[in-house]
Parts: sequence; structure tokens; C-alpha cells
Amino acid sequence: MADITLDDVTKRFGEGGNAVVAVDDVSLDIGDGEFVVFVGPSGSGKSTLMRMVAGLETQSEGDVYIGDTVVNQLGPRARDIAMVFQNYALYPNMTVEENMSFGLKMSTELSKAEIEEQVTSAAEMMGIGDLLDNKPGELSGGQQQRVALGRAIVRDPNVFLMDEPLSNLDAKLRTTMRTEINRLQNDLDVTTLYVTHDQTEAMTMGDRLVVLDHGELQQVGTPLECFYRPANRFVAGFIGSPSMNFFEGPVEDGTLRADGFDFDLTERMQSSSEECDEVVLGIRPEDITLHERANVDYEFEAVVDVVEPMGSISYVYLRPRRQEGDQTFVVEADGKQPITEGEHINVKIPEEDVHLFDAISGETIHQRTLDSEAEVTVSEQT
Amino acid sequence: MATSDVEPGSSQRLDKDTQETLVTVARHAVLLGWSVVVLFPLYWLASMSLKPPGQANSLPPDWVFLPTVYNYIQLAQNGEFVAAFANSVVMVGASVVLVLLIGVPAAYVLSRYDIPMERDVLVWILSSRMLPPIAVVIPFFVIFQQLNLFDTRIGMVLMYVSINLSLVVWVMKAFFDGIPETLEEAARVDGATQFQGFMKVVLPAAKPGIFSVAIISFIFAWIELLFGLVLTSFNAVPVTLFVYSFIGSRSIEWSMLAAASTAMIVPVVVFLIAVNKYLAAGLSFGVVIKE
Repeated sequence: MADITLDDVTKRFGEGGNAVVAVDDVSLDIGDGEFVVFVGPSGSGKSTLMRMVAGLETQSEGDVYIGDTVVNQLGPRARDIAMVFQNYALYPNMTVEENMSFGLKMSTELSKAEIEEQVTSAAEMMGIGDLLDNKPGELSGGQQQRVALGRAIVRDPNVFLMDEPLSNLDAKLRTTMRTEINRLQNDLDVTTLYVTHDQTEAMTMGDRLVVLDHGELQQVGTPLECFYRPANRFVAGFIGSPSMNFFEGPVEDGTLRADGFDFDLTERMQSSSEECDEVVLGIRPEDITLHERANVDYEFEAVVDVVEPMGSISYVYLRPRRQEGDQTFVVEADGKQPITEGEHINVKIPEEDVHLFDAISGETIHQRTLDSEAEVTVSEQT
Repeated sequence: MATSDVEPGSSQRLDKDTQETLVTVARHAVLLGWSVVVLFPLYWLASMSLKPPGQANSLPPDWVFLPTVYNYIQLAQNGEFVAAFANSVVMVGASVVLVLLIGVPAAYVLSRYDIPMERDVLVWILSSRMLPPIAVVIPFFVIFQQLNLFDTRIGMVLMYVSINLSLVVWVMKAFFDGIPETLEEAARVDGATQFQGFMKVVLPAAKPGIFSVAIISFIFAWIELLFGLVLTSFNAVPVTLFVYSFIGSRSIEWSMLAAASTAMIVPVVVFLIAVNKYLAAGLSFGVVIKE
């Protein structure tokens, strides 16, 4: 087992003027036994970052440490890592058993009997004990996934690297495997890096998230931190489903003039937004409330565009009645609340749940309030 | 044909079983007919080779005759034929090994690495086959004479390699393109060197493709006549040239021609049977691995 340190790591593809910066000056400390999820949209550099830890890509600048060793010059085989690939990358001409023992044969001096013993116990752990003589082509997607995981754990490596391992599975299997990988990582307590573009996977699996966009580190933090204390507009929008709603506009005399409604900023908000000409108000769909009658502050009237019933809740897409653009925002409403399309409804944006972002830099300038209990939960995880 | 009990009223329509039987019978009839079309020339050749000289080409053909292995004994006792046959086996066999040794790694490199002007390199390799052989045979002759390769087995091997190299490179490149690169990466993470990854993981996965290009290269070289005719005189004569010698300016020795041709088919059939199980996958070039 080992900790991992990335020190000002940059990766450029191509040369000179045409170079594309895939990873831009990322520094990161990952503790021993930690489960860290690299999350971001495609092209964010998350896979490249992991491949540099694996040694499958060489960084253009910076150092990668595994344990106390600088591994810059070491190939993948010398790094004592195991990796699970998105397409599983099982060796098609080998049986499951040969697939799982290949790494042990290549990288250890173990005897045949010892290898067999380890393969059998890893296979039983993954519930694939009776598939050992099959070729990968004869297995279902879920079984292949288990073999790929088994091949990784049998090596008992310093570090697990998982590159979108669940994205080829159907939704139901994905949920099952998510829990299983979580359990496995807890049992084995091996430092794990996990790449995904799926924010649900990231939230549910990681001890910590590393949120990336365009090769740049956006935020490193626990899932709840990234959710409740986003460092910037990108993280706020990326983490959470459906996404946070954003309303952009200039601030005049302490009031945000958004398209279709005004929002009076509190004194604290005003002082933190003093230096910004334009701010973005962010609020999560579950924090907005809908009312039949207008009787509270910060209310405006909105027209229901689409209702997506999910059962216990409904996602209601609305647009402010006086809005000029055609952008909608989404509200999570009680599934039993009767709301029809075209209906006019009053919207309340509770001031304590509001985030504010600088419209130009995207940086967070005001975080939502959390009650003291929630504050403890969010910070305890850190 | 099995007709099951047909209830009154539904007698106009065939029930499902009968329909299926009819389709099966029709399918087999078509296949049988096509087999006759395909196999008749082979039968004709073989039967001709088993007739005594003089009877081979008689018209109308003798459908019933007493088969004889006279022609084959003649062939086996003919030192020139045995030498030419051995020549071809050695030269073609060596050329297939050599073309794979050169072509497969070349294709792998073209598939996996960023080669400057890759497209141009590929077209350049293909361009070696763009001129009709008859247009290049004289330059070949001159070069072979200069390099002392004329009428040598090594010269013929090189010539066969030049014929097949573009095929091997192009087909194998497509094949390697279809093998996900993550396989090698997985092998490297598992502790293999890049070379071990190629040998232990990629090559076995590419087996169907390799056997396919091997058999096609073998056949192309085995049946080559034109270059053999111009580039050899005595020492390195291939079997095709020997067979050709039965076609004289005044007469054609039909029965001997048929026997030698039949003998020529044997190595190809042996090779085909040996690698048969890999061919089905290999002939659907490059689309084998689906994980």
C-alpha cells in the first residue's frame, strides 16, 4: 500500500503551437488506503491524469510519487499497480484463470501452486470460481467485469486504478457493482484511484473527489463538501443531479437583476459581491419551493414548462413569467403535488440556500448557509 | 418429405413444419447444384490424370474408364518434376515465413505508433503492386542479373516476398487496428515488457489474421508463373513452370498436365486443413475482438 503525490503535473499532447494541454499543473496528495474519484466531463483530463500515475503516459512536467519513490522514469510494470479498464481488456486467447494469473507470472517469483491458490481465492472473492476455465468471449458483460476486477485484486498491488470500469454495464448491474467495488475497497484497504464522468458514481463511491475541467483542478474535497461548498460555478453545476440552477445578472443597489425577476441580496451577500459587476445566483432544484399563492418575500411568478414525474418527487421545469430569454430552471417538487403544464405558480428562492458566483471568473463568492449540525457533517468528513 | 396430419379447412396452407422442410430441401438443392458447378472442373482434372495418355482428351469423353496411376508414376520418376516441386515447397514456404516476419511487425508499428506520413507510407507499400507484373518483369530480370540473383532460390524467395508484402502489411494493419490497445496496456500494467505484451497478448489475439494472410500469401506465391518463367532457367525452376512445360508448341500432354496440376493442389489443401479453424475468424479482417 502506498500514498500517491502529484507535484505540478502537466501533460501536453503535440508540440509547439499545436500542443493541447490535457492536464494543467495539477498537484495532489492521496493518502494511503484512500478512495479518490477523478470526476469531470469528457476531455477534462481525468483519464490522462490516471494514466500518468499508471505510467502509460509520461507527464510533460512535474513529478509523480508512489510511496516515497519518484516514478517518473519507471514503466507501468515497475510501479506495482493494477488497473481495470473501461473495456475490461481481458486477454481474449486466455482462459479466466490464465487472465488472472498472467500478472503474477509476469511480476512475481511465486510457484505454480502459490499462484493457483491466490487465483482461486481471488476468484471466489469475486464469485467467479466456476468460470475459471472459460474464455472471456463466453462471459456476459457483468462476468467480464468481475474477471477484470479479480485480475486486479489477485496481484495485491500498491494501488488500484479504475478507468470508468462500470460505464459498459447496464444501469441495474452498475448499481450492484458500485456497491461491490465499495465493499471490496473497504475490505482490501488499498489506495484506489477511480475515474468516472458520472457524478452519481463519484458521490457514492469516493472518500474524496477530484473535480477536473479542461485539464485544470477545480476542487478537491469530500463528496458533501463539493456538493455544499463548491469552489466555483463549474463544480456547483457538475455535482448534483439535476444540476444547480443558475441565474445571471447585474447587481444594482443590492438587488440582483436576473432575467425575469429581482432578488434582494442580503448584507453578507452584498459585501462579498462588492467587487463584481455581474454575479450568478446558484440554487439547487430541491431548495426552491413552489407556492399557489404569493405571500412571501423573494417571490416571482413562473410558468410551468414541463413536468417530469419520478414517483415520490417530480422535476418541474419553469420559466419566469416576465423573462425575455427562453431558459428554464428546474425545481424538485413533491410527487403528489398536482402541477400541470402551462400553470402559473409562485416561486420562492430561500436566501439561506443561495450560492453566488463571480460571473466572469466563476469563483464562488458566497456559500449557502448550513445549520450547525449539517456544518459538522460536511466538515467532519474532511 | 414428411406431411403431418392436415386438418380440413387448413389444407390450402402448408403447416409450419412442412414449410420448413421445403425450405431446407430447396436450400440443399441449390447448394448441391452449386457444388456440382464448382467441383466439376476438379473432377475433370482428377479423372483426366487417371486416364492413360491418349485417352485423356478423347471426344466424346470416356465417362467410364479403367483408372491408372501411370501418369503419377511417370511424374514421380521424373527428376525435373521432383526438383521443381521441392523447389517450390522450399521457396514458397521460406517466402511465407519471411513475409510474415517482415510484414507483421511492420503492420503492428504502423497500427500502434504515430508514424510521420503514415498514409503515404501505406500507399507507398501498396504501390509495389500497382503496376501489372508484365510491366515490371523485365526490370526485375535486369536487377536480378546485376545482383547475381538470377535463377537462384534466394532470388525467387525475395520475389515472392515482394509480391505478398503489401497484402500482409495492409491486412494485418487493419487487424491490429481492431485489437484494442488497452490489451497491451493491461499486459504492461500486469508486469510484462512491451515486447512480452506483443508476443504473449497481441500476437495470439492476431492469430486468425496471421494464418489468413499466410495462406493467401502461400497461394499467390505457389501459383506464380510469370516471374518464374523469366527469372529462372534451371536451378530455381518452380513447379508452375514445370507444369507449363507440358504445353508444347505442337501438342499438349493432357494426362501429364492433369496429374501435375492435381499434385500441385495437394500442398494447398494440406495447408488449408491445418489452419482451417483460424480462417473463419480471420477472413472477416480486423473485426474479431469484441469484449
